[in-house]
Amino acid sequence: MATYGSSSPSEFSVVTTYVGFEAVLAVRGEVDVRTAPGLKANLDAAIDAGHRFVVLDLADLDFMDGSGLHVIAKCAGRLALAGGALTVRSPTAMVCRMLDIVGLANLIRLEHTVLIPAVLGPEETVKLDGVLTQAMTQGKSHHPRRVSAFPTDDQLVDSTLRLVVALAHATVEGANGVSVTLRRRGHLATVAATDETISDMDANQYATHEGPCIDASVEGRWFHATSLDTETRWPAFIPRAKALGINAILSSPLLDRDQPIGALNIYSRRAMAFGPEDQELASVFAAEASTVLTDIGVHGTDDQLATRFQEALRTREIIAQAQGVIMARDGVEEDSAYSTLLRLSIDSDRPLRSGAEDLLTSTLRPPPDADPLLKERFHG
Amino acid sequence: MADAPVDELDAFRRSADLTHGELWFRYFELGGMSTGIQLEAFLYGALEPTDHDRDVIAQALNERFVELGGNHPVPYAEEERSA
Repeated sequence: MATYGSSSPSEFSVVTTYVGFEAVLAVRGEVDVRTAPGLKANLDAAIDAGHRFVVLDLADLDFMDGSGLHVIAKCAGRLALAGGALTVRSPTAMVCRMLDIVGLANLIRLEHTVLIPAVLGPEETVKLDGVLTQAMTQGKSHHPRRVSAFPTDDQLVDSTLRLVVALAHATVEGANGVSVTLRRRGHLATVAATDETISDMDANQYATHEGPCIDASVEGRWFHATSLDTETRWPAFIPRAKALGINAILSSPLLDRDQPIGALNIYSRRAMAFGPEDQELASVFAAEASTVLTDIGVHGTDDQLATRFQEALRTREIIAQAQGVIMARDGVEEDSAYSTLLRLSIDSDRPLRSGAEDLLTSTLRPPPDADPLLKERFHG
Repeated sequence: MADAPVDELDAFRRSADLTHGELWFRYFELGGMSTGIQLEAFLYGALEPTDHDRDVIAQALNERFVELGGNHPVPYAEEERSA
């Protein structure tokens, strides 16, 4: 498994005790794709036994990734259904941040009994201090900005991973660029990047056969170069990176069923740009990208995958264009335009994409020398 | 659907025989902007989607039901409110 956690993580265990009408589950060790089913089984057992108020005690948790969040989201839903509630006790700063990012923080009761620095893994360079942890426990939050646009250069971006890239770029403070590296036909390749410099950064690592992106993709753990001025690893790659104006790099592994398949790379022009919060964010986005890749089957052939992604992006584009037409025509906001489009498609019993295509076709004007019949069709 | 269970949307997903990843992909394709984890939280009723998100999820599921020979069983935001 990936060495996301501390250098000597405790073995995963869950101990359930009953205090009054509450079921308290004390979790120890790391919650990841391997152990999350065990956590879920214990939570389900408590809820199945009729407990509506469940406490997840994370005082001894070493690490939790996106798969743990999935379990928490599902459990919170089940308890809500039963009229109960889920309390997360002694969450680490990392867990607080993850709950905040995915919007679960307001749903779950958080109980802070001890301030514990989050364990960020073997590349950790800055420990979470009491001040930062305190700030988080006092409800200071940084909600990710909503992203409504994507990079448009299709040569640089060939998959829906650009969603993850766009979100990471928009939410990680200090990020000047983000990319996703994936293993394809035995070679590492950049499948999404925010701009050409970032694409070049990855290419320089492939060319020199070294760099944090390669190490994260191969070793399945994260690598953080805080300042390239003092960095001694990757001697062939570092001068090339500095020539492109980059001074800090954070690479987090992408995993498919515990096997490293690539990396999410975040680059900054400023040394020491990434603090503990950014490292947590990167781990969340990497987990998210891993989930997407696992779910859609990254092992399908590259061509199938690329075709499917391109088709999906094309559909999004067509829908967005149709929304734009409605916004201009009716003088309405984006969401309202979407509702209008939806209504059109339901009324005509057509998929949303077809409805959008029809609308776009109806707004086209034929060229002046067009066939009269064609003109008739467009104006008719 | 005032008395609909909180995980109503996930029940629709199961009937439509879609994995969470498949549904997320379809939702993304139709313009959805939430992450996979947020989408799951919407499905389980752990988070309340915006009207827009609710509509995109409903459309993604309904298009799947149409593919399977069905109709549009998943209510949209407006229908949900007036039910």
